[in-house]
Amino acid sequence: MIKKTIIIAAVTSSVAVTALAHGGATGIVKERMDAMAVMGNSVKAVAPMMRREVDYDAEAVKSAAQVFARHSGEAMTKLFPEGSGGGASEVTPEVWSEWSKFEELAEQLGAYSNGLALAADNGLGTSMGSAGSMMGSSSTDSMMGGTTTPMIDFTSMTADIAFNMVAQTCASCHATFREKE
Amino acid sequence: MRTETKLLGGFGVLGAVALGGIIFWPVRTEPAEITLQGDVQRGAYLARVSGCISCHSDFENGGASLSGGKGLSTEFGTFYPPNLTTDATHGIGGWSVEQFAKAVRQGISPEGDPYYPAFSYPFYADMTDQDIADLWVAFQTVPPVNESAPENDVSFPFNQRWGLKLWRAAYLYDPDTESDPTKSDAWNRGKALVNGPAHCAACHTPRNFAGGRILDARFEGNDALPGDSKAPAITPSTLIEGDWTVSNLVYAMQTGITPSGDAFGGSMTEVVQGNTRFMSPDDLEAMATYLLDSSS
Repeated sequence: MIKKTIIIAAVTSSVAVTALAHGGATGIVKERMDAMAVMGNSVKAVAPMMRREVDYDAEAVKSAAQVFARHSGEAMTKLFPEGSGGGASEVTPEVWSEWSKFEELAEQLGAYSNGLALAADNGLGTSMGSAGSMMGSSSTDSMMGGTTTPMIDFTSMTADIAFNMVAQTCASCHATFREKE
Repeated sequence: MRTETKLLGGFGVLGAVALGGIIFWPVRTEPAEITLQGDVQRGAYLARVSGCISCHSDFENGGASLSGGKGLSTEFGTFYPPNLTTDATHGIGGWSVEQFAKAVRQGISPEGDPYYPAFSYPFYADMTDQDIADLWVAFQTVPPVNESAPENDVSFPFNQRWGLKLWRAAYLYDPDTESDPTKSDAWNRGKALVNGPAHCAACHTPRNFAGGRILDARFEGNDALPGDSKAPAITPSTLIEGDWTVSNLVYAMQTGITPSGDAFGGSMTEVVQGNTRFMSPDDLEAMATYLLDSSS
């Protein structure tokens, strides 16, 4: 019994030391944090274009879209094996209890990223924001109601709207599956 | 000994009288008749900005619009945003516009009971009669849902509604929506939105043991939001330190994307998806302008 405790203590402390040595996250947790950081960098690269702070560059948007797509779907979900939460990880247990929702969002990230690549050549729309139409043409029913997902035609969509859809996918996923801080 | 008993008894009687006084203390006043013609579009917009729709609907679990929101679990208990559809029994279909005004601006139910401040009515106190008329006609377009939201699950002593009268006396602050003539129109519009309907401080200002906002620490963040959520500080200095600008703050309220390339998580995702992304670029710019300069 005592022996067991000592072994556990020894294992725990060596794990703790390794974790510290790698700046908090190790193994699969570090891998997925790195993947998120890569996507974050791409967001950071194109968001100023969407905000019209810098000139629009369709090629840069396409390459960002490819980065998102590469990290989507199974490439994303395989980084979250069951039991890989806790410690330095910021994942919530919901990722495993609501796995199909997580899978769906990971797939959606891929679909919207591919859509963004298609929309990239269309450039930016004339007005900022994705929901400006809610004040104008759309019916009041939807204004007072939920949001529905209509058929999406990315080839006729402007890049900023497509990018918003990608961004909202990131946010939806974070809202449920990343620890609130 | 006997004197002490008498004294204690005296305090007891006094206490009971005081308590009775509080229980039967009528709160606030009847609003005057509202005869203004409402504008549905404007009302729907205001319902978005104010969070009526996002809080009182549970779209995630297939709930109909405004038929009752997700439970808000707090240290005082769980609060369920009620059904605000036009159903006469389970919603607010049987209300008058004046009763609606009293609920929204004063936090008092048609029966005269104070609402829990889980409902952000303190921020709506400065809504004009026109705002109320607009909201009211927009609410009339909501299809009825004949099911009540669950009762609040609040334990003693917080289940004693008269206690809320004390809460109101201590912590019900008038929203600071007053214009400052030395500031730009955008700043003033932003101030009225931020401190009024958009109710940013409901989450971004810390609260004391009784759930009262600590006004001296306005916008300094709250680590203890319902549902284990946290709200960061949004004072001008923290925003500027975090590379926030009017432009990227507007964009974040439209998309959830932050200057560092991250996407909001937590409750702010719901705020963006349910409220701010519906706002006009002008209004968002006004809010950002004010937030980046809210201490002056």
